[in-house]
Amino acid sequence: MTQRTTGGVTRRTIIKAAAATAAAQVAGPFVISARGDTPVRIGLDNPLTGTYAALGKNELIGCQLAIEQINAKGGILSRQVELLSEDSTSGDAGTAVQKARKLIDRDNVNFLVGNVNSALALAMADVAAEKKVLMVVPGGHTDAVTGTSCHYNVFRVCNTTQMEANAVAPTLIKNAGKKWYYITPDYAFGHTLQAGLEKACAANGGSKIGADLTPLGTTDYSSYLIKAQAANPDVIIFLPQGDDMINAMKQAVQFGLDKRFHLAGAQQELEALEGLPPEARVGTWVFEWYWNQPNNPHVATFVSAIQKKTGKVPTARTWFGYAATWTCALAANNAKSLDTLKMAKTLSGMKLPPEVSLMPDQAYYREGQNQLLGDLFVGQAQAKGSTAEDLFKVSTIVKGPDAAGTLAETGCKMQWPA
Amino acid sequence: MTRLEKPALTAFVWLALLTMPWWMNAIGGYTELASRVLVLGLAAMALNFLLGYTGVLSFGHAAYFGLGAYGVGMMIKFVVPSTPLGMLVGVATGTVAAAVLGLLIVKLRGVYFAMVTIAFGQVFYFIAFRWNSVTGGDDGLTGWKRQALDLGFTQVDLLGNDRAFYYFLLFVFALAVGAMALILRSPFGRTLVAIRENERRARFLGIPVERHIWLSFVISCFFVSLAGTLYALLNNFVDPRALRWDQSGNFVIMAVLGGMRSFWGPLVGAAIFVVLQDYVSSHTENWMSFVGLFFVLVVLFFPRGVMGILARRRATDATKEGA
Repeated sequence: MTQRTTGGVTRRTIIKAAAATAAAQVAGPFVISARGDTPVRIGLDNPLTGTYAALGKNELIGCQLAIEQINAKGGILSRQVELLSEDSTSGDAGTAVQKARKLIDRDNVNFLVGNVNSALALAMADVAAEKKVLMVVPGGHTDAVTGTSCHYNVFRVCNTTQMEANAVAPTLIKNAGKKWYYITPDYAFGHTLQAGLEKACAANGGSKIGADLTPLGTTDYSSYLIKAQAANPDVIIFLPQGDDMINAMKQAVQFGLDKRFHLAGAQQELEALEGLPPEARVGTWVFEWYWNQPNNPHVATFVSAIQKKTGKVPTARTWFGYAATWTCALAANNAKSLDTLKMAKTLSGMKLPPEVSLMPDQAYYREGQNQLLGDLFVGQAQAKGSTAEDLFKVSTIVKGPDAAGTLAETGCKMQWPA
Repeated sequence: MTRLEKPALTAFVWLALLTMPWWMNAIGGYTELASRVLVLGLAAMALNFLLGYTGVLSFGHAAYFGLGAYGVGMMIKFVVPSTPLGMLVGVATGTVAAAVLGLLIVKLRGVYFAMVTIAFGQVFYFIAFRWNSVTGGDDGLTGWKRQALDLGFTQVDLLGNDRAFYYFLLFVFALAVGAMALILRSPFGRTLVAIRENERRARFLGIPVERHIWLSFVISCFFVSLAGTLYALLNNFVDPRALRWDQSGNFVIMAVLGGMRSFWGPLVGAAIFVVLQDYVSSHTENWMSFVGLFFVLVVLFFPRGVMGILARRRATDATKEGA
């Protein structure tokens, strides 16, 4: 090998330079122009792949509808609003945190919205607190988000797991019995939901006779169902969500458990009921929002707007996304500022207007906890209702404040910056 | 092969790394993305110490990566809120685990070695996944943060200042990579390459092959657990996916993508992987397909990775000029 001594530009150098330039194009998706021209940005960091993809996509649809309406009504502080959506994955908190930082650091979003997965919501809330960005959690239920890990700038639309438990427990004890067996997904949401149910069950005179923790993404529930059957409870409580709920309920009905025990749970979603065969749509559940609310014109308008967009009725997830996005706009427009502290102060205690709240009672963000308190819909899953998409029969409407417990019970010690 | 890489290339890499926070922002990235490139690059280079220079494929490096991550997280959360001490514990945990398990697997070769490393990796994954009360289970280990670095005369704020943290990472990266290069240049490093090239011949020459592979495995795991501690500090968070087999697979992809016969190859591979993932996943939810497709293309057409393309070109040019 001879050493080359001549200088100058060779073909190789040119090719390398070309390759580097090409790579730079790929690496540089956005070049941010002057800040004054940019629209107000809402960053959605939510699952679009994995177990929670269906839920995440419905929340996205709700967000999109809200953005269209906000822009049609003059935007935020007279600026247009733009939604940036990132896939957080269903369970990888590393990715969710990376995407949250990307939205905040690079895209300079004014609001952060997410996440379906409670653990990811908690991890993102830490980022939002660190970066002092207003965050709204549409659908991550674990208590800590507005409980022990609460932050002044983190608000939540969906209920806490304790609220869901408190809402369903009295009905269940009255109609089905006192001995409960739990099948619980093994992560933050499942743990707090089971703990909440145990507390609510004991308060109503019931007891726990067994429980199993199932990993997220379990496909075969037979061993857990056999154990539950052997324990001979009055009620088998199913707490998994998404595809896990579908697998668990399908297998329970195949085993004929619905004939011998009362199958129930706390949180149930239209997405899961749609995924179940008609004979497996059984049991007592809580819906956090339901589209079939007769005599509420605002709900009817919302349902038809979503139907026009997707051809399907909205689910609770669609409403979560919708309400979360509107919360951002209302916070800024009412505070007349995009300053996080001012918006957070405005939001705390704020009532959502009826066209956003979309339930019998007006929902509001409870001061000192930043938790939205609305109505909860307790009832039974049904194989077929008035229409093909009417899969739930509401029997009781529980008011949020009645299910929420006291502020001290939530464990939130809100710290406002000086 | 008398040098690891041309000095010009090495100088270029360091210059690029030193200025990364600036050009990363300028081309639409963000400082944290630069930090991720560094951390995952270190992990891929650590894997390549074993894969590229010893010729042994481990599919379980995420286990030691994750042990490092959990080590630093738990140390800061439960024992002492100190970043360097936490890192020390994290690295020690990963290395000791590798030293013990290494003894059990060094006799295996090829696909058997890979399978057993996966198996041990999954053991750690399931421990972290199911042992809720200690590791936080599927939720991950939260409620701790990297601490400011106390240098005696001054405090470096690693938490609030992205750039400061990047340069802290770069400093650790430089020490690790420097040490790695020194080891590879030593007679010991040459022996590893000899084992890679022809294990039987090395054995006939009287080289204790098993001991060398064990040492190489432990050294490689030392560096990967160091990368793991940095990863945990970067996220202020650890979850069991850091230990899972697909994370190990990602390291292998990065190493192969960049070129496993090149010292800097895995770093280039990690940069491509991280930036591609970040960029494509903003545009489509099917981003994994694109990363996979890119990987397949590289393996099919450029089996020596991106650095292999450059090296081959260099070789052809040299032959032409030599003739």
